Amino acid sequence: MTEGGRIVVDGAPVAFEAGDSVAVAILRAGEVPGHGGTLCLAGDCGNCLAEVDGTAYVRTCQTRAEPGLRVTRHPAPGDGMPPLPEVASVDLTSPPTGREIEVRHLDVEVAVIGGGASGRAAAADAERAGRSVVVLDAGAGDEVVAIYAGPLVVARTPAGMVLVHAHEIVAATGTAEVHPVCPGNRLAGLITARAAEALHAAGVDLGEAVAIGTPPAGVSATVLDGGLVRFEANDATGRVRAVVTADPTTGAETTTLADTVILGLGRAPRDLLARMAGTAPVAVVGAAAETQPLPPAPTEGLICGCMGTTVEDLGVAWDRGFTELELLKRASQACLGPCQGGACLPNVRAWIAARTGDVPEPFTARPASRQITLAEAGADGFVDAFRRTPLHDEHLALGARMDRFGGWWRPWHYGDAVAEYWAVREGVSIGDVSTLGKLVVSGPDVVALLERIYPCHVADIKPGRSRYALLLNERGHVMDDGMILRESETRFVLSFTSGGAANAEMWLRDWIEVWGLRVHVLDRTMSLAAINVTGPLARALLVRAGLADPPRFLGHVHADVAGVPCHVMRLSFTGEAAFELHHPVDQSVALWRQLMELGADLGIRPHGLQALFGLRLEKGHVIVGMDTELDTTPRRLGMDWAVRMEKPRFIGRGSLERTAKLPDHRRWLGFQMDGAAPAEGTPIWSDGDVVGNVTGSWTSPLLGKALMLGWLRRTPFPERVEIDGRVAAVAPTPFYDPEGHRARA
Amino acid sequence: MPALERLVGLRVVADPAALDAARWHGSDVTVLRFAPDDAFAIGAEGVDIEDEYAIVEPEAGFAGAWLSPDAVGRHAEWPLPAERPALAQGFVATVPAKVWLPDDRDDGAVLLLTAAAYADELESRLR
Repeated sequence: MTEGGRIVVDGAPVAFEAGDSVAVAILRAGEVPGHGGTLCLAGDCGNCLAEVDGTAYVRTCQTRAEPGLRVTRHPAPGDGMPPLPEVASVDLTSPPTGREIEVRHLDVEVAVIGGGASGRAAAADAERAGRSVVVLDAGAGDEVVAIYAGPLVVARTPAGMVLVHAHEIVAATGTAEVHPVCPGNRLAGLITARAAEALHAAGVDLGEAVAIGTPPAGVSATVLDGGLVRFEANDATGRVRAVVTADPTTGAETTTLADTVILGLGRAPRDLLARMAGTAPVAVVGAAAETQPLPPAPTEGLICGCMGTTVEDLGVAWDRGFTELELLKRASQACLGPCQGGACLPNVRAWIAARTGDVPEPFTARPASRQITLAEAGADGFVDAFRRTPLHDEHLALGARMDRFGGWWRPWHYGDAVAEYWAVREGVSIGDVSTLGKLVVSGPDVVALLERIYPCHVADIKPGRSRYALLLNERGHVMDDGMILRESETRFVLSFTSGGAANAEMWLRDWIEVWGLRVHVLDRTMSLAAINVTGPLARALLVRAGLADPPRFLGHVHADVAGVPCHVMRLSFTGEAAFELHHPVDQSVALWRQLMELGADLGIRPHGLQALFGLRLEKGHVIVGMDTELDTTPRRLGMDWAVRMEKPRFIGRGSLERTAKLPDHRRWLGFQMDGAAPAEGTPIWSDGDVVGNVTGSWTSPLLGKALMLGWLRRTPFPERVEIDGRVAAVAPTPFYDPEGHRARA
Repeated sequence: MPALERLVGLRVVADPAALDAARWHGSDVTVLRFAPDDAFAIGAEGVDIEDEYAIVEPEAGFAGAWLSPDAVGRHAEWPLPAERPALAQGFVATVPAKVWLPDDRDDGAVLLLTAAAYADELESRLR
């Protein structure tokens, strides 16, 4: 145990003695750890919260004083919140580790919360029955902060977080003391009986003390008769000066001077943890299980010290119709502060009971029962998982900078996005497009399904051919896009964007069920990898790889490439000839390496997303989700050509028919200007107003200017706008090879 | 934590009745029924199935490892099924996963499997 020393409170040294908590040390120095209010020194209220070593909302009564520990009192009520801590810059390109806080898992049959007499007895009973037991006692440093279904008990300990996987939980958490509600109850110098006992044991001078209720044994205090009316302030010190009590019979008031008022107003079950247990098997034992009388209904004063809610506030909320405990707490904010009703819930229940005649059940509690840091809350927890393609390690070996996109880790570039761009435009390049959504659909009703799903024609697609398609919802808004590839009369492969595949699958399955069609669906997104071979020399490379007769534009074949079975699709997203090679994930590395080797003398190099986005931007291709909004229609994208309104029905047709008659004030257009490209998202200005935003931008190495795609939301659509402080011209798209000769080559 | 190894077999989507009656080729085939119309047959090299529209594809897109039920359960916010055999699907360590609980393992181990695209992530989280 520390032998004593000094802590620093608001910049000034404060001495402490061995065994002192921070709160006791501050009280020993004649100060208060918070800003007044009754102190329980048992962790139940929020009146001793302060910032400790940079962590806000720390219960100083539960924090042992250590030499040099820095304490900063929070702003007084009404003066704002504690400042947020400084956050060091984080490398967002690396997955967070979340391992700063040690986490230990413990498997036991019985977890006992509370190391008092009833907790020890429960533990002894379980041990005698041959069961494995752990006792989690806040006094010993094992502070339980949550109970979850599982059941799982989460405890904060000096060594980190402990996750206890228990079959049963015993809550032996005892009782909390009732806090006074009356005028003056925010003054300093008010303590509960237990707090008085702790301060007396620590040798802290209480000065002239009076007690309402029975003071603890050994504590010198004048016991007052009568009911508590109010506390009066010493205006010079802000502490209590006197307490006023009233004779219960005559109502005559008596004023008694005091430095400290000891309050023994009764107890309430300390049941916060039990109330958050839900269906977890929790047995409440000991004093926590005993019924305690509610305090008298308060009539005046601050009822929730954490949130600053007064009895009058409760009345206002009640009169507005919030006449249940759950509603009243939300409307008045009582019980919503750091102590979660630890101090005020008995008084709020008593106040409601006085109005209704019924005592409301306590509300369900939510983790965490104590303030914990984000690091503690996130310890051993995980952020959403991002998928890796089978080529992940190949990318890393090639020096790729990886980033997260569409739910996957993807190479952003391999060190030189411009060189990657030129490889596509003038030579040959390969890119990892394994992330694209890939569904197989098969069945006697498959054409009927796809004709209804897609706004383009499907029945006339011949086996071995493909067609680009938008996917629309019932409102005619663009959900996704991709390719429809026909394999036989009754079987198709559908591709979707990387981030849209899961939704597209659900969409198809839902409609198959709704329409009662006979179509099987298999999502192959994570079973097949895909490599895009693109550039004017792409065809030559594939011939070298054994594909004697690569398919022509929008054709597709199943064939071996470099010995790997592939579904070869002749498409183009880059503006150059491109072949997507879809193949089993377990053969992807071999295929990638073969292509790199076979293309070495052609100057092959891989391209990342940055170059790909630039290449597609020059072609004016949309990226659904990046360029589109939730209510983007084909017309707004300038893609009416992808919708065949002569079809009798498809999803979204009715909406498109209706909205076609309405004026539209939005267009997704191309822009160009001199200089470097601005950041994506940059506002587009016209006549001093923001009239749109950039969704994609790229400094074109070929055209030597900034090219952009973005939205205009003002009609008539201006021909010149201002972007990034420069004049930009609306320009037709594609910017590059508008006739598509190169893509079809 | 043993490494998640790639699982190879056949993936078949077909009419449920046809899948029920399917005859699998290969030794030591384990059929995991992901859905009434969807099966992953680990170790299968072929299948005879009475559904002309069935989608039958080689499958190498999953990885898995045999673990104790406790090792899996502590990372799942849902209880593993008590009955066996059973196939459960849900998040394990916040990663989409499936758990195969056979009734013929002496050691009581269960097969934790996930899409190979998640395998490294799941493995690191269970470590």
